[in-house]
Amino acid sequence: MSKGYEVLSLDDLGAYPRPQKDGPLLMPLRLRLGVQAFGANCWTAPVGSLVVPRHEEDSGHEELYVIVRGRATFTVGEQTFDAPAGTLVHVEAGVLREAVAEEPDTVVLVAGGTPGKAFEAFGWESVQVAFAEGVAGRVEEGRTALNEAIAGRPGHWSNAYNLACYESRFGDLDAAFAQLREALATAPPEEIGGYLEGDDDLARMRDDPRWAEVTG
Amino acid sequence: MNVAHVDDLDRIELDDGFVWRPIRRRFGIRAFGVNAYTPREAGGQVIEEHDESRLGHEEIYLVLRGRARFTIDGNEHELGPGQLVFLRDPSLKRGAVALDAETVVLALGGKPGVAHEPSAWEGMFAAVPYAREERWDEAIRMHEEALVEHPEHPALLYNLACMEARGGRNLDALLHLKRAAELEPRWAEYAAKDSDFAAIRSEPGFPA
Repeated sequence: MSKGYEVLSLDDLGAYPRPQKDGPLLMPLRLRLGVQAFGANCWTAPVGSLVVPRHEEDSGHEELYVIVRGRATFTVGEQTFDAPAGTLVHVEAGVLREAVAEEPDTVVLVAGGTPGKAFEAFGWESVQVAFAEGVAGRVEEGRTALNEAIAGRPGHWSNAYNLACYESRFGDLDAAFAQLREALATAPPEEIGGYLEGDDDLARMRDDPRWAEVTG
Repeated sequence: MNVAHVDDLDRIELDDGFVWRPIRRRFGIRAFGVNAYTPREAGGQVIEEHDESRLGHEEIYLVLRGRARFTIDGNEHELGPGQLVFLRDPSLKRGAVALDAETVVLALGGKPGVAHEPSAWEGMFAAVPYAREERWDEAIRMHEEALVEHPEHPALLYNLACMEARGGRNLDALLHLKRAAELEPRWAEYAAKDSDFAAIRSEPGFPA
């Protein structure tokens, strides 16, 4: 097959839980394919669980939800409705939405982007995949996912910060402090400050004498 | 509320045999391209043969229902529900035939690194049902709406001129045809043989 295209089944994407949270499982379509022009991922969840978490999409993205298979109950704003396979739901940024899976193997595709702006991949999919790999004991696979996210968005502090969190939880503290230094060198203090004291992933680092030196 | 089932989307049958089921236009989506396609019958075209060289779009085609045989860069792939093809190279030829009359293919597209702009072809496709019924005012309106976002799009100007000529708006037709030919001379060659311009071909200023 040529490098210019790829054939894939959604069943080959895997399903990754969110780090430290309950909720839907990510089927990382955009990350797997390397889509650059728009956001596109699938989500699945057990019957009775959220397949679309309750959120307002503060990224500014408008989103289109496509029920690929199964069935879901959507709530958008004040309205709740049944969404069988083949249903399309368009939601503007800033509108509260959620959906509950009503049948086994429900899969919802979400496409998104900000009107008037070029799409930018922030790397959150890599974080979710990496931490799921770490929890499953596949530490090197998770590390690779985060390093690829750093390479894909060089110079942005959040991916280095997430790798620091990852190394703190699953790897070694030397690597964690190296990544945290990298993140602090480029992060606006008002953006990263809140994470430093409140992020449970960094707990092991706070007990280390280097913490005060690096964050002081 | 912005909710619809794919079976409830508009059905716009196009001359190449496939049926366009507009999603982006239906919902007013601005950030990316998205549409569904269905065939007229089993064995019929569901994705027209084309490439994306002009727009530079990368595309995902996801089979939502039924089965389709895709031909990508000369290679055939038979895909069923939940299977997809992602084309990152806009120059690759692509197309698909439905193997099942109920086949639905979802298409997502956009150009990496730039803000999405709705494609001019949507306005031309949307005008097809009106043109088929010789409802020229509506067909012209579809083109004019697209022209707001693509004022210098040669194919759009040419098709608008066709509708205007058929609808008796000869002066508008000449102006738009002339502009299309200025932007891309090949449109003057097409116009010389296009029956849509029979009423204005002898007019002064008709591009030769």
